[in-house]
Amino acid sequence: MAETSLSKSRSGQAAARASGSRLTRLLNRSETLRGYLLMAPTLLIMGIGIVVPFLILLMISLWTRQGFGFDTTLTLVNYARAWSEPIYGALLARSFWISGVATVATVALCYPMAYYVAFHVHRNKMMWLILMTLPFWTSYLLRVFAWKVILGYEGVINSGLSAAGLIEQPLAFLLYSPTAVIITLAHAWAAFAILPLYVSLEKIDKSLLEAATDLGDGPVARFFRITLPLSMPGIIAASFLIFIPTTGDYITPALLGGPDGTMIGNLIQIQFGAVNNWPMGATLSIVLMLWIAALALVFLLITRKMQERIA
Amino acid sequence: MMDVVDQLGALRAGALSRRKFTKGLLAAGVAMTAMPLTGRRAIAAEGDQATYFTWGGYDIPELFGPYIAKNGVPPNFATFGGSEEALTKMRGGFVVDVSHPCNQAMPRWVQSGLFQPIDTSRLSNWGDVIPELVDLPGNDAGDGKVWMSPFDWGQTSVTYRTDLFELEGEESWDMLWDARYAGRLGSLASGADAWWCGAIKAGVDFADIDSEGAFEKIAAVMREQRPLIRTYTDDTTTLEQALSAGEMVASMTWNSSAVLLQSEGIPVKFARPKEGALTWVCGPMIHKDAPNLDRAYEVIDSLLSVEAGHFMINDWGYGHSNAKAFDAFDAETLAGLGLSKNPLDVLNAGHFQHPQTQEWETRMNETFEQIKAGF
Amino acid sequence: MSTGSYIKRPNRALQVYAVLFLVVLYVPVLFIPLFSFNDAVHVRFPLQGFTMRWYSELWSRQALWNSLWNSVRVGLVVAVISTILGVLTARSITRYRLKGKGALVGFIMMPLVIPGIIFGVALLVLLSRMGVPLSLWTVGLGHLIICLPFAVATLLPRFEGFDPSIEEASADLGENGWWTFWRVTFPMALPGIVASLLLSFTISFDEFIMAFFLTGTDPTLPMYIWGQLRFPKEFPSVLAMASLILFVSFVLVFIAQWVGRMGLESQEKEGLQS
Repeated sequence: MAETSLSKSRSGQAAARASGSRLTRLLNRSETLRGYLLMAPTLLIMGIGIVVPFLILLMISLWTRQGFGFDTTLTLVNYARAWSEPIYGALLARSFWISGVATVATVALCYPMAYYVAFHVHRNKMMWLILMTLPFWTSYLLRVFAWKVILGYEGVINSGLSAAGLIEQPLAFLLYSPTAVIITLAHAWAAFAILPLYVSLEKIDKSLLEAATDLGDGPVARFFRITLPLSMPGIIAASFLIFIPTTGDYITPALLGGPDGTMIGNLIQIQFGAVNNWPMGATLSIVLMLWIAALALVFLLITRKMQERIA
Repeated sequence: MMDVVDQLGALRAGALSRRKFTKGLLAAGVAMTAMPLTGRRAIAAEGDQATYFTWGGYDIPELFGPYIAKNGVPPNFATFGGSEEALTKMRGGFVVDVSHPCNQAMPRWVQSGLFQPIDTSRLSNWGDVIPELVDLPGNDAGDGKVWMSPFDWGQTSVTYRTDLFELEGEESWDMLWDARYAGRLGSLASGADAWWCGAIKAGVDFADIDSEGAFEKIAAVMREQRPLIRTYTDDTTTLEQALSAGEMVASMTWNSSAVLLQSEGIPVKFARPKEGALTWVCGPMIHKDAPNLDRAYEVIDSLLSVEAGHFMINDWGYGHSNAKAFDAFDAETLAGLGLSKNPLDVLNAGHFQHPQTQEWETRMNETFEQIKAGF
Repeated sequence: MSTGSYIKRPNRALQVYAVLFLVVLYVPVLFIPLFSFNDAVHVRFPLQGFTMRWYSELWSRQALWNSLWNSVRVGLVVAVISTILGVLTARSITRYRLKGKGALVGFIMMPLVIPGIIFGVALLVLLSRMGVPLSLWTVGLGHLIICLPFAVATLLPRFEGFDPSIEEASADLGENGWWTFWRVTFPMALPGIVASLLLSFTISFDEFIMAFFLTGTDPTLPMYIWGQLRFPKEFPSVLAMASLILFVSFVLVFIAQWVGRMGLESQEKEGLQS
C-alpha cells in the first residue's frame, strides 16, 4: 500500500467521513488505485484500440484464407512465406531504404533552418515557427498531388528546364520512381523534423557556448562539441517522427512511385483489397512492426554510444 | 525513449501556444457556421438517397436524369478502382445500395451472398433491354429475376497516339510489348483487365485460362512487359493525360479514354487488335441489405434509360443495354466507335471474359501484384 | 536560458538558406491556390486563364461540403474526447504514484511508433470480426486511438510543471476535489488543454490512412479528395476548398498573433505576468 502524505490523508479522511462508504475509504487509502481509476477510460480505449486489435491481428496472421472466409487452423505458413518469398524481403528493404533516405535528407535539410530560427532569429520566433508549419495545414494528399504536378512530364521542372534550353526531352525519371517518392516524403514530413530540432536547439544553454568561446573554441568546434550533441534528442525525435510513419506509407508510392517505387505499405493494403488475403496482410503488418522495433532499438543504441563517446 | 517522448510533448506544447488556439477554434467555427443551411440540407438529402458504388468516372449526374427528376438530387456515389477491391470492401462490411460489377465477376459476387435478385418488373425500362445481354452465365436468379441488370458493355484495347506510335503492320496487342517505346507504355492496374489482355497476347484460349500452363504463359508475358510500362494505374485520367502529353505513346484503356482524347483534339485511335480485344458487359447489382431499396431501383432504371444510353454511346463510346438508345445513331457512327446495335457482334468478335472461381481470382491477383512489384 | 549576451553575428549563408528553404517549402503548397484559379479541369501546365468559377461552383458541390462537415464533426468529437481522457491520464500519471508508470506511458504512446496502416488494418479486422459496420463512428474510433498519445504528450508537461502544493493548500482550506480542480487545476492547465484540442482536431481532420480502411459510406474530406484525385470530376473545386482552408488559416494566425501581442502588451501595462 502506498504511503500518503499528511495533507492528503487529512483531506482523504474528510472525504471518507463525508461519504462513509467502504469503497471510498479504500480509494482514499490507495493512491495507486485512484490513479488507475482516473486513467481507466483511457486505458479502456487504448485497450480496445491497441491490445484487442493486435491480438486479433496476430490471430488472423496464423490463419489462412479459404474461399470467402478463413481456415482457422493455426499455422505459420504466412510467416514462412513472408520470410522465404523474395518479394516481401525486397519490398521491406526498399521501404526502409526510401524512408531512411527521406529521413536523413529531411533532418539534414531542416537542421540549418531550425538552427537559424533558434540562434539567429531574435524577434517573432513564434511567427517563424508558424510560417514553417503552416503549409502542413493543407491536405497531405493534395501536397503529394502537387509534387506530381511539379515532377510530371509536362510539369514545372521539365517545362522550366526545356524552356531554358537545358534539356530536349523531358526527364522521365523524375516521376514514377523511388526518387519521386523520396522527394515527396521529405517535403511532406519536413514539419515533423523542424519542430523537434528547433525545440532541442532552443533549449541549449547559450552560456555553454559563451564559455566555449571564451575558452578559445572556434565556431566549428563549438558546433561539434556542444550544439550537435545537445541537440541529439531533437535529432532522434525528428528521425523517429519521420521514419516510422513513412515506412508504412502507401499513398505516395501509389501516386508517384511507378512500378519500381512500390513499398511494403502498398503490398499490405493490396492484401486487404484486390488480393483479398487478410491473413497475409496481418502477417506483413506484424513483420513490419517487428522490423521497425528492431531498427529503432539499433538506432537508439548507436546514438547512445555516440553520446557517451562525446561526453 | 521517454526523453524523446518528452521532446514531442514539449514541442507540441511549445509550438501550439495560445495564439494558435484562437486560430483553430475559429477555423472550426467558421467552417461550421459557413454552411449551416447547405450542410443540413445536404445531410437530410444524403440520408435518403441511394448509394451507387461504381467505377471511377461513372459518378456523374448525366447518367441519372430520371433519378434527379424524381428526387431533385443525384444519388450518393462511392467509387472503386477495380471490382475485386469493391467486393473485398463490401465483404469487410461496406454496405451500399447498388454496385457495378462486370460479367466475369458476377457469379462470384452472387456466391458471396451479399446481393439480392433484381425484380425486373420494377424497372420501367426493362422491356427495352437487349435480351442477349441479360442471358449471361450465372445471371438467372429464378422467377424471372436476374442478379445483374446489364447496363454498359465495351472493350478493353489499346489507345495509341497515331502521330507518335509507328505501327509495324497491323494493330496488335504487341504494341504494348513494343520495346522501342520502353518506358512510354501504360497499363491498367487491375488484373481483371490486364491479365486477360495478357492472355490474349500470349495466345491463351479463355476456356483454358485456369490451367497451370496458362498461368505460366501469361505470367511470363506480363513479366516481359513490366520494364516497358511507365506506370500501372486504375486512374484513367492519368493514362489520358499521359497520352495527351506524349508521356505515353500507347496504353491499355477502355473505349471512353480514346473518345475523350479525340474530343480534345488529340490524335489517338482505339486499336482493333488483330488478336481481338477484350470484351465485357457490366451492370448494377443490389445489396441484400440495401437501406434504400426503392431508390435503388430508381438508380437502375435511370442507368437503363435512353437518356443515359445516349450519353454512354455518344460521350464515351460505350455500348448500352437499352436497344432504343441506339436509334439516335446511324450505323456508320456506331461502327466508328466500335459499337453495334447488336452487341453480340462486337462482344463475340473480341474475347468475352469467362467467370472464374474465387481461388483462381485470388491467385491471379496475387501473381499479378507480384509481377507488378517486379517479382 | 540567457539569450541576451550571446548574439551571433548574422550569417549570410544561413539567411539565404532560410529563405530558399521557405521558398521550396511553400511552392508546392501554393500550387493548390494556383490551380484553383486555372480555367481547366486538368491540373497541368500551361495555365489556361484565370477564372473564379471553381469557387462559385464550390457552393453547389454537396458531396464536398458533406465530406467537410463529416471531417469537422469527427474532428471535434475526437478532439474533445481525447483531451478529456488526456487530462485524466496526465493528472493520474503526474499526481499519483503508480506502479508500472513507465510501462503504462509507453503503452499509451505506442501509436506514435507504429505506422498508421497497421492500426487501420488491425481495427478493420477487429470491427469486421465483431460485425460492426463501417461508418464515421469507426473512423472516429481510429482517430481517437492515434490522437490520445498526442493529447497525453501535450498535457503531460503541463501537469508535470504544476506545483501540487497549490492544490493541497486548496484542500487544506476545506474545498472538495471537484471545486479544486475547476478553480485551481483547470485554469493552469488551460493552455495545454487548448493545445491538445487543437492538435487532436488537426490530426483527425487531415487523417487519411485510418479513414481509408475504416470509412463507411460517409467520406471524410481526405477520403473525398482521394476519390477526386483518382477519378477527377470535381477536382478543381477540391483545390478551391483547400485554398480556402489555407487562406483562412493564414488570416487567423495573423489575427491571433496580433491579438496575442495586444494582450501581452496590456498585461504588461497592468504589471501582470502572463
